[in-house]
Amino acid sequence: MKKPRLIQTRRAPLIATLALFTATTAQLGSAQLGMDAPATPKSTILYSAQPQTVPAGRQADLELRFQVLQGFHVNSHTPNSQLLIPTTLSLQPADGVKAGAPVYPAGKPYSFPFDLGDKLDVYAGSFIVRLPVVATEGVHTLDATLRYQACDNASCYPPRTLPIKIVFTAK
Amino acid sequence: MRRALLLLMMAAGIALIVWAGWQNQRQRRSATQAQQERRVDLIPNNAGSAASYAYTDQSPLRGKQAPAFTLLDLNGRKVSLSDFKGRPLVVNFWGTYCAPCKIEMPWLEEFSRKYAADGFQVVGVTYDSEVGRDTIDRDAQQLGVTYPILLSTPKAEKDYLSGTDALPMSFYVDRTGKVIEVTAGLGSKEQLESMVKETIAAGGR
Repeated sequence: MKKPRLIQTRRAPLIATLALFTATTAQLGSAQLGMDAPATPKSTILYSAQPQTVPAGRQADLELRFQVLQGFHVNSHTPNSQLLIPTTLSLQPADGVKAGAPVYPAGKPYSFPFDLGDKLDVYAGSFIVRLPVVATEGVHTLDATLRYQACDNASCYPPRTLPIKIVFTAK
Repeated sequence: MRRALLLLMMAAGIALIVWAGWQNQRQRRSATQAQQERRVDLIPNNAGSAASYAYTDQSPLRGKQAPAFTLLDLNGRKVSLSDFKGRPLVVNFWGTYCAPCKIEMPWLEEFSRKYAADGFQVVGVTYDSEVGRDTIDRDAQQLGVTYPILLSTPKAEKDYLSGTDALPMSFYVDRTGKVIEVTAGLGSKEQLESMVKETIAAGGR
């Protein structure tokens, strides 16, 4: 009976100390993590897919709703400089769907702090791209990509491509 | 008795490890706090949830020797960090798509001329080298930049940018080759000039 008790008394502080040591190490780890640079989201635009119905065989507009993450902006389709990358939608051909040229919304003026030059033309918050289509009766899926280039109020991020699926019904 | 002594020694050893860990943590905490106090946010009303930070010293390169590089310039010539040995330097990563980069590049050009007598040098490194030399050259010319513009490589990006893709990113290297400051994002012209002066003053003559 004596021996197990001894082991118990020997182990108790050891276990407690190890637990404390592990907790301390974990805290050290998190302190180090806190010093890392802030992470950039992989995509600064979200596509909100919504079921849409258009009349079959007649031209109608699909509404493609996009949301730019808070704190970011992207160049509009017509940025005020040829040196900047415009937001552009590209479509893959699909059977039974004839798509026209996308219609982009107007941008909003934007200036970076400390910039005395011309204002940029950007999308921030939500924006809608309209896509004219003529489709045969049935459910259709269009594969598309939105190319954009995002910045926040101090930094810019490389151009990115957001793949989207546009699902709609023609009847 | 011997068991008690062994137990005591074990306890003392473990206590020492815990104490060392605790001390280490305290030191790290105070270093982090000091770093945060030094950090200057130069963008007014910097609200929003974006990963937006105008100026930072969080880069692991801060306080270390600038990583060596040999990159091609727009004429296809090799340019190395060692070519600027003994000179205060700003290594500025920029991109042709980056509007804030294009705001500060004419300032860097101005300071490279203003402080030329101090040996000060600016080196631009183009992050989006894949757009081609013609586009990069067109942008650099439009911005009035005459300092060397080099084409980045994955290795240079790994060594300097540590995984971030935010531009602009500037590394202030003193005469001894040590990175004394790292900034990300656009700050004010005045802040940029004061850091140029700091870089010139650092590392002795």
